[in-house]
Amino acid sequence: MTRYLLKRFFTMLITLLGVSILVFLMIHLIPGDPVLNILGEFATEEAINNLKAELGLNQPLYMQYFSFIGNALQGDLGQSYITNLYVVDEIMNRFPITFQLAVYSLIIGAVVGIIMGTIAAVKQNTIFDQLAMMVSLIGISAPGFWIALFLIFVFAYQLPIFPISGYDGFYSLILPSITLGLATSGNIARMTRSSMLEVIKQDYMRTAEAKGVNVFRLIFGHGLQNALIPVITLIGLQFGHLLAGAVVTETVFALPGIGSLAIEAIATRDMPTIQGLVMFMAFIFIVVNLLVDIIYSAVDPRIKYE
Amino acid sequence: MKKKRFPVLLSLVMMLALAACSNAGQTAKEGTKDSGSEGDAAGKAGGTITVTSVREPDTVDVQRTTWVDDANTHIYEPLVKFDEDGNIIPALAEKYEISEDGKVITFTLKEGSKFHSGANVTAEGVKKSFERFIDSAPTNYMVGPLEEIVVVDERTFEFHFSEPFAPFLSNATTAYLAPLDPAAIEEHGDEFGNHASSAGILNVKEIKRGSSITLESFDEYKLGAPYSQNKGAAGFDEVVFRFIPDDDTRILEFKRGNSQVMLSVPPNYIKELEADPNTEIAKTLANGHVYLGMNNKKKVFQDLRVRQAIALAIDREPIVDFALEGAAQPIFGPLPPAIPGYSEEVEGAAAKMYAHDLEKSRSLLKEAGYTGTNDAGIVTKEGKPLSLELWVTQEPTMQRIAQVLQNQLKEVGIELKISVQEDATIRAQSPEGKHEMLLWTYGWYDADILHSMFGRDLSTRVHYQNDELISILEKARITMNQDERMELYKQAQMILVEESPWVPLFVRENVTAYRDLEGFKIHPITGTIIWSDVKLKK
Repeated sequence: MTRYLLKRFFTMLITLLGVSILVFLMIHLIPGDPVLNILGEFATEEAINNLKAELGLNQPLYMQYFSFIGNALQGDLGQSYITNLYVVDEIMNRFPITFQLAVYSLIIGAVVGIIMGTIAAVKQNTIFDQLAMMVSLIGISAPGFWIALFLIFVFAYQLPIFPISGYDGFYSLILPSITLGLATSGNIARMTRSSMLEVIKQDYMRTAEAKGVNVFRLIFGHGLQNALIPVITLIGLQFGHLLAGAVVTETVFALPGIGSLAIEAIATRDMPTIQGLVMFMAFIFIVVNLLVDIIYSAVDPRIKYE
Repeated sequence: MKKKRFPVLLSLVMMLALAACSNAGQTAKEGTKDSGSEGDAAGKAGGTITVTSVREPDTVDVQRTTWVDDANTHIYEPLVKFDEDGNIIPALAEKYEISEDGKVITFTLKEGSKFHSGANVTAEGVKKSFERFIDSAPTNYMVGPLEEIVVVDERTFEFHFSEPFAPFLSNATTAYLAPLDPAAIEEHGDEFGNHASSAGILNVKEIKRGSSITLESFDEYKLGAPYSQNKGAAGFDEVVFRFIPDDDTRILEFKRGNSQVMLSVPPNYIKELEADPNTEIAKTLANGHVYLGMNNKKKVFQDLRVRQAIALAIDREPIVDFALEGAAQPIFGPLPPAIPGYSEEVEGAAAKMYAHDLEKSRSLLKEAGYTGTNDAGIVTKEGKPLSLELWVTQEPTMQRIAQVLQNQLKEVGIELKISVQEDATIRAQSPEGKHEMLLWTYGWYDADILHSMFGRDLSTRVHYQNDELISILEKARITMNQDERMELYKQAQMILVEESPWVPLFVRENVTAYRDLEGFKIHPITGTIIWSDVKLKK
């Protein structure tokens, strides 16, 4: 296991290096000059040139990259061109909110999705199956902003149970989590259903049923556990996406997470923040994927990492 | 054993989430729960007012940004300010005098004015603040050819310019040029934005990046403007600016009573809010306009007849009614009414010259050589159709305007291809002249804005250079006599009207909705809230 983890660690470093090169090139290829954003509409040519020199933007691209990667390796992602705040601080200030939102959404999505998917598989081609698949389809296809506004209107405006927007602890994350959880649950339900349908047909399931195993234990103990591998992969991917910032949900609910930070940074061509965020998101994706692989071996004893 | 490992991992993830929850919760504890609550401070009604705004300022340090609005401007008290008619009146300065040659402006500070830290506002302090501004502010061009600042005594100082710089006083009304507390600059350096201290009616209490800025009433404030009844500290405890980018969410927060002020009401909600008995609406005209810019470097626009034909083909009423739901005023001349230098005479002449006239537009196009028409109804010159690309930002209102313009120009046989671009892309590429047309806007408090847009080598959006115009605008910059200066701007505007390098379209109405407040007013020139008389209704 230790060897496997070391191997994964080196793969992670190479991936991050690749991401850093890609994102660096992309930021410099898209039109838009950060200096013009900083200095405003009526900046003089002299001021523009001075600031470019000060920020090192007049240096060759490769030198700018080495300077960036050198600092990044020391944990310094630079300072925002716009706010002057350290990018690491900006990300760390906002990440806890995105992290909570991702975890709560995933819990909602996974619990609802797995239950719906299992019922749909066990009761295949019945009204329960159709109902569950219809709900999951709505979850997948309804736009996030629409669900968000619907939930706000009903549960925060008409019935003032939850706050309409802003972050004020756990309570303020319930509606955003349901919004994201609904979409996540749709995907998970569909995956669980198809995976369960395959497992249900297996000989060992028939054997267990013939032995008179309790239905609940049969479905959840024997069936679901074996059907979970692809579902866990999906959950891992969804978790990575959620952690990378749910831009629309954060915008509608005015949550100061990393999704909204990304939008602001891109609009103002705030290069250090964009670079820092993309690197951070890539890191999160890689770590989540690693965790998923480790969870595989916990769920399925046949999977072993040597 | 192995079966238990999955639930253990799951609970670990949940514990991590809850731990993060409690940590983040602590930093954001002081939220907006007290919105609208009443305070008990002696002599004032107290309480907390919540304002919702779309955009968060980059920083509250006005010497580190090019964006000043209600959320950061009230921390600062400028040396002078505009009254409600656009005249410059004393603010932090008791008086100012301009030397005969116009090169020296002497300011005398009001006695007893204090910074938020409790330190006195002194001439030396003002000098230090300006030195930082000149040294590093992105807007340092606003002081013009300033050579030195001479401290005469504790309350008096002089600005020495190498040549007269007439826009200085207008520029000095803005927060950008307001003195910062030198002690705070020294203590916090580049971190000043998190600990801003100046002499404004509100001081910084708490900044939560991405979420809100809380400002509290500065109890020692004594600089209330002549147009306010209250000359002292604000009549409430604090004001929370919450940043909510989504229009629907902002409107629901307001209608629910969670916020007392909603800035930048979207046009499609104005009628609904006007009908609400609990809501009052304040409207002011913007200090700039939205225009259809032509890239005058392009050959097609070097023909005056083509530029005028485009101007004549545009009908502003449908744009205002359809795209802006009436929340704007059509404009034909270069300056809007809120900028000193606006002239009714110029506006009248421009409105007459460019009144919607399709026949005249078509005939000008014919004169310019567009005599043919292709199958799509587009006019052609030497077989080449008059097809133009219009750059427009992602803002939905601007896109609606572009669609109206597209239809209107089609009527005279001009094809307009709409190209939606990011704001940052237009800012970066239009100075290089990569566009043909753009839908853009400007805003400022002084007619010198025309120099910024049409001065020598400064025309970055419409690329229009006219020596006569440049010479008038340069003369206006150094003319300290206000009447003479305004006369020069009238001449400059007439050139722009006749030459038509752009098509001014409309002046937006800044619409603010408010409730549960008394004494609420918006400054007609600056468009910012006048906090002095505002109180929560009991």
